[in-house]
Amino acid sequence: MSAPAARQGAEEEAERLLAAAKLNPNDGGPFRSLGHHYARAGDAQRAARCYQRAVALDPDDAEAGEALCDLLDAEGKESLELAVCKEAAGKSPRAFWAFRRLGYLQVHQKKWSDAIQSLQHSIRGYPTCADLWEALGLAYHRLGMFTAAVKSYGRAIELDSSRVFALIESGNIQLMLGYFRKGVEQFRSAVEMAPHNHSAYFGLASALLAWSKHCVTTGAFTWAANLLKEASETAKVCTSLAGNLSCVWKLHADTQLALARCFPWEDRHIKRGMDEQNFKASILQWRNTCLSAANSAKLSYQRALHLTPWEANIHIDTAICLDLICTMEENNSVDPIAWELPEKMSLGGLMLEPVNKDFWVTLGSVSSNQALKQHSLIRALQLDTSLSEAWAYLGKIYRQSGHKQLARQAFDRARSIDPSLALPWAGMSAENDHQSRAGSVNESYESCLRAVQILPLPEFQIGLGTIAARSGELLSPQVLMAVRQAVQRAPHYPESHNINGLVSEVRSDFQSAITSYQHAKFALGMMRRSKLDNRYPFVDVSVNLARSLCKAGLATDAVRECEELKTQGLLNVDGLQVYALALWKLGRHDEALSISRNLAENLSNMKQESATGALGFICTLAYNIAGKDSAASVIHTLPGQPSYNRELKFIISALDALQPSKRFQLPHLSTPPRLTSYDVMSEVHSNIALGKAIGGELNNCLGVGGGLSYLKKVLHMYPDCSLVRNHLGSLLLSSGDWTASHKAVRVTSLSHGHTSNRGLRSPHQIQACATMSCYATCTSYPKFSFPTCEDQYLSQYNGICNLQRLVHQEPWNQDARYLLVLAIFQKAREEKYPKHICATLKRLVLQIMSSSSNSQEHKLILYEKYLLLLLSSEVNLQSDDYENGIAQVTDALRVAPPSVDTFFAHLQLCRAYVVQGDLSNSRKEYMKCLQNRTNTEVGWVMLKQLESLCSVNRGSDEIEINLKGCIERNGRNPSKWASLFNLACAQCFMRDEDFASAEKALAQACAEKDADSCILFLNGAMHMEIARRYAAPQYITRAASSLRKAQQKSQAMVPIISLLLAQAEGSLGSKAKWEKNLRLEWFSWPPELRPAELYFQMHLLASQSTAAAAAGPQQKKQQQLVETMQSPGAWLLRAIHQNPSCSRYWTALLQLVCV
Amino acid sequence: MKLAGLKSVDGAHEDSIWAAAWVPAADHRPTALLLTGSIDETVRAWQPDDLAAASPPAGGHALGVISLAAHPAGVIAAAVSIDSHVRVFDVDSGASVATLDAAPSEVWGVQFHPKGVALAAAGGGSGSVKLWDTEKWQPIASLPVPRPEGARADKTGSGKFVLSVAWSPDGKLLACGSMDGTIAVYDAVRMKFLHHLEGHHMPVRSMVFSPVDPHVLLTGCDDSHIHIYDAKEKGLIGAMSGHASWVLSIDVSPDGMTVATGSSDRTVRLWDINARASVQTMSNHSDQVWAVVASRPPGGEGVRAGRLASASDDKSISLYDYS
Repeated sequence: MSAPAARQGAEEEAERLLAAAKLNPNDGGPFRSLGHHYARAGDAQRAARCYQRAVALDPDDAEAGEALCDLLDAEGKESLELAVCKEAAGKSPRAFWAFRRLGYLQVHQKKWSDAIQSLQHSIRGYPTCADLWEALGLAYHRLGMFTAAVKSYGRAIELDSSRVFALIESGNIQLMLGYFRKGVEQFRSAVEMAPHNHSAYFGLASALLAWSKHCVTTGAFTWAANLLKEASETAKVCTSLAGNLSCVWKLHADTQLALARCFPWEDRHIKRGMDEQNFKASILQWRNTCLSAANSAKLSYQRALHLTPWEANIHIDTAICLDLICTMEENNSVDPIAWELPEKMSLGGLMLEPVNKDFWVTLGSVSSNQALKQHSLIRALQLDTSLSEAWAYLGKIYRQSGHKQLARQAFDRARSIDPSLALPWAGMSAENDHQSRAGSVNESYESCLRAVQILPLPEFQIGLGTIAARSGELLSPQVLMAVRQAVQRAPHYPESHNINGLVSEVRSDFQSAITSYQHAKFALGMMRRSKLDNRYPFVDVSVNLARSLCKAGLATDAVRECEELKTQGLLNVDGLQVYALALWKLGRHDEALSISRNLAENLSNMKQESATGALGFICTLAYNIAGKDSAASVIHTLPGQPSYNRELKFIISALDALQPSKRFQLPHLSTPPRLTSYDVMSEVHSNIALGKAIGGELNNCLGVGGGLSYLKKVLHMYPDCSLVRNHLGSLLLSSGDWTASHKAVRVTSLSHGHTSNRGLRSPHQIQACATMSCYATCTSYPKFSFPTCEDQYLSQYNGICNLQRLVHQEPWNQDARYLLVLAIFQKAREEKYPKHICATLKRLVLQIMSSSSNSQEHKLILYEKYLLLLLSSEVNLQSDDYENGIAQVTDALRVAPPSVDTFFAHLQLCRAYVVQGDLSNSRKEYMKCLQNRTNTEVGWVMLKQLESLCSVNRGSDEIEINLKGCIERNGRNPSKWASLFNLACAQCFMRDEDFASAEKALAQACAEKDADSCILFLNGAMHMEIARRYAAPQYITRAASSLRKAQQKSQAMVPIISLLLAQAEGSLGSKAKWEKNLRLEWFSWPPELRPAELYFQMHLLASQSTAAAAAGPQQKKQQQLVETMQSPGAWLLRAIHQNPSCSRYWTALLQLVCV
Repeated sequence: MKLAGLKSVDGAHEDSIWAAAWVPAADHRPTALLLTGSIDETVRAWQPDDLAAASPPAGGHALGVISLAAHPAGVIAAAVSIDSHVRVFDVDSGASVATLDAAPSEVWGVQFHPKGVALAAAGGGSGSVKLWDTEKWQPIASLPVPRPEGARADKTGSGKFVLSVAWSPDGKLLACGSMDGTIAVYDAVRMKFLHHLEGHHMPVRSMVFSPVDPHVLLTGCDDSHIHIYDAKEKGLIGAMSGHASWVLSIDVSPDGMTVATGSSDRTVRLWDINARASVQTMSNHSDQVWAVVASRPPGGEGVRAGRLASASDDKSISLYDYS
């Protein structure tokens, strides 16, 4: 069709459409088509009218609406467009096109909240329109609803992954919210998508910068440096894309500046034995990296400044950068009149914006002129009195100029205005540090720690380390972290290396400490060129180095170090001490002594504390080289007597304890306690107590009594000192007092706080030993045995549980296992060696034996092994495994260290052979026991018991003589041992059925004062037996009296005593007592263990009382007695039910039935 | 108020004397008695006028007596020994009435409720105050000492060791003092912790409420000072200094106006509360004075005359008259 034809056709179409519109004026379709027609024809006005009509007729008509809006938009009639959209939106909620248009327009007009409503509505119509989501995100973003914005942007990106705007904007939001990683990811994908979009690069670089700043505040410098490198590369790309944007250059400069500030010195690739050249080279390399970064920052700032010279803050940034370069290059200008570059630049910034308070602060901080500094800071404060930075800097200036009071006030003010600013904290710390108040060191440590935590500057960190070294906080992990970071950030400061060395040394990592000190020396060497007056730090570092060399065992190197110092004439007091120590370690004793003499001459010139420290050192050295006498003579020639400090007191008390013959007169130790620290004094006191225990001569046994009473007094003064408690417990244990084990348990405490392992024995050891050492059965559960311990202290104490806990806590601790075995063995003994416990014991012993199998061992461990073998042999014996039992004893004899008492091994062998019935061997072992002898009373008593079983000659009283000697030597509880010995004799006699002698022996055993209830019981039973066998009624009275005593003595009711007593009393004709004792007997058995005989006796009792009740009705009150709970017949039936094999019960039943 | 030495008994025990308490007169006994406890593991009773031994020494206090307290009815008394048993015994016969058991190192000072219904014990290493009823001798409660606000949580060390305990005269408040100088005050009726009293930083070994004013708490501390607190309203209202070493023991006269203290500097001092000053120093002891106790004669408030006894490490007891 030709063009005129087309026009013709179009006109025809228009006419047809007009006709259609006239025919049905309420239908919008024709109007829309007409509109299209006019629009095509270029008649905008008509077209608009037609579209308007169409939209008015059908507001949902998106096509017409969009076309109308496009027309209006093209003509720039924005308000009209808005009105059309509003009208349509108001007419129909389904007019989504209108809402969309409206939303866009509102976004354009920055009516954010209105836009959000429209956009949300329109999204219902076009849920997959990425533009809408993006616009919605923008609206939320601008309203500050960041999470909603992130979600909307995310939806937009999901729908269309090439949405760079959404990516960048959501990245910005993530940065704002502090999610650096997410932000960086988003910027990265934006960069990928639009590799030429400079804003994406800009965003990425700034995100990396922000992230790295975060890393710096947490202390991750290497990470931060890596991020910054990437950031500056990105910024570089950005500058190539948009080289005329000042902010891009500024960003690049910022990244470089941050890099210059945080680039860490890496020492990890440097080997330990690095020499000075390498060190210098690496430091120089580090410094050059920093400097080049700073210079590149400067260049970029210059470019930015060139582009926008009216921006004041770039001036200021440049000033800061220049200041950094100046400090790095360390070229202090000598001309005070000429303006320095940083000052000039910040002044330039101030010229542009004279009322910016921060600029004044910057000027104050970069200027090197005191007056100018002060002036500018005061100007800043005039602009804003609550400017904490200004106060802080002012405080710093005052401090430098020596106005302490003013400085303190300024810092205080800064701190109270903004407590999250690091500088005032550091300043306060420095202020406190220079005071001599007692608590001030602690306070300054706290302040400095705060400063370091807020801002990890190397200067603060070094300060923290210094304070920590003085206040003894070097072990704290915060200090470790700070100092390690300080080394990374300021490797050119010798202080940082020195303190790093101190920190390593405190942690016993001497190799690293040595390396650090060497680094410090190198760093000093580098500084020496510029400043000459650093001899003192050099000496300090060298002494430190020598000391850690000494500690690391490299005494030769330490000596060389000291000699070097000596040739320079720089050896100070500390150096002398280290020198002497190193010489001593090398075995050059004479030289060491001469050095220490040298040191002693200098004592009078020293300060109080260091003098006493040195004195303590001299004493210890003298003691180690020449023994206690020379140490004592050192003490005696003391210059100033009353000025002992605590450590010295400790040394003196230790020496005192070792020198029983020549005691010092130590008046100062008995003076009233001064207001000093508690722990050292308690150590001193425990030493004194030990001294008292050692008594007059070193070779005697410990005289425990004196030490005990002293320790009790000390405990009274320092009740919460676990050391004193431990000492007291262990002394009690070794006192041999019969009830000492119970007391020891009561004194030492496991229950609270951390238990101290110092002292003679650990609390666990004491508890385990106490459990073992009670000769009586202390079981609280009467199923296996009956408690015979008169004191009953241990009844609720569960030693095994505590030891299990210990083993669980310290699985490597062999000692704990050993103690556990002992405790379980005691339990097995109390419960008569049940099978499962025996199995456990065997396994445990095997475990211990296998874990320490090498032959070169300490004597103590060998002894432990010896005891364990004996113990397991006993367990084997008890479980009828004689062969193994004997084999283990022979093993034990083999491992036993030479000085050990092998008596018990032979005794055990003897017992085993006796059980086996091997008479000749058992007699042999018996003789060996006699030959070997022991200093333990119980050994002789046990040997006596075996005497009759081995059927050896009874005539000799060798055992008795030996026992007596033993008791005399030990001097404890002679009566107890005598009675036990007599008991053993009686047992021998009884075995031979020699009752007369046995009776005599037992009578002797009972005659000792405070005889044991068990012995009394046995005596009573013996008398009863004799009375039965020989029909000797006079014995019954004696039996009754012994049994009565036994009954009174035993605290818990031991069964059978009462039964026997009842029989005796019955035979003596006292029916009431018979009844009473029978009833007692009933209650002394635990319910589930009552034997048949008991029921039978109750039957007798019940039949008696029913007879009595039948005789007289007045005895009604007996109703509540125990035997009346059941009828006599029932009692008898229960007895038969328990033991049907006893014919006596059946006859009684027969009688009962017959009667 | 003045102290006048009445009598002194040297060698009253075989070894250091650590605790003393006045047992009030009872129905069957017209006069009060003085009880002393010593490291020699015995408790002895003395006549109040001439310090004649009133009964044979009662043993059974393993490792030494730390603290003594007498029941207000004058029949029984409680003694704490180092092995952490509290033995309650009849004063006249010395026979045990009950033995209260605590875990090792978990009991130190004891004090009876002013009405005698309960016995409070400083719980040593358990960091609490333990209460027993005096009828069945069953534990009633254990009141823990909370960590004071502002205390550093990261400083680990041995926990609190509670040394001393005191009841207010109306029985409504209970206070305890610890090794680190914290003093905790409890509502003894509802068994609730009320607050800490601040000011001491060293062991508070002895404390006593004023008998006339339940507000006023007097404490003696190792920092050698004596503090006067308002225990109810939580405030330090006074401090007195003068001892050269630890203050080991403190007691107050029945009228609440005069305080007596015993110290490691081997002196007994008398203080005027109103003047906040030391008015008299007795230095007749030759070793540290572990116990100072003032008798409470019958007759209620306002009685000024009475007896004061002090016991010391030098094995001696001294009796003073104050008026």
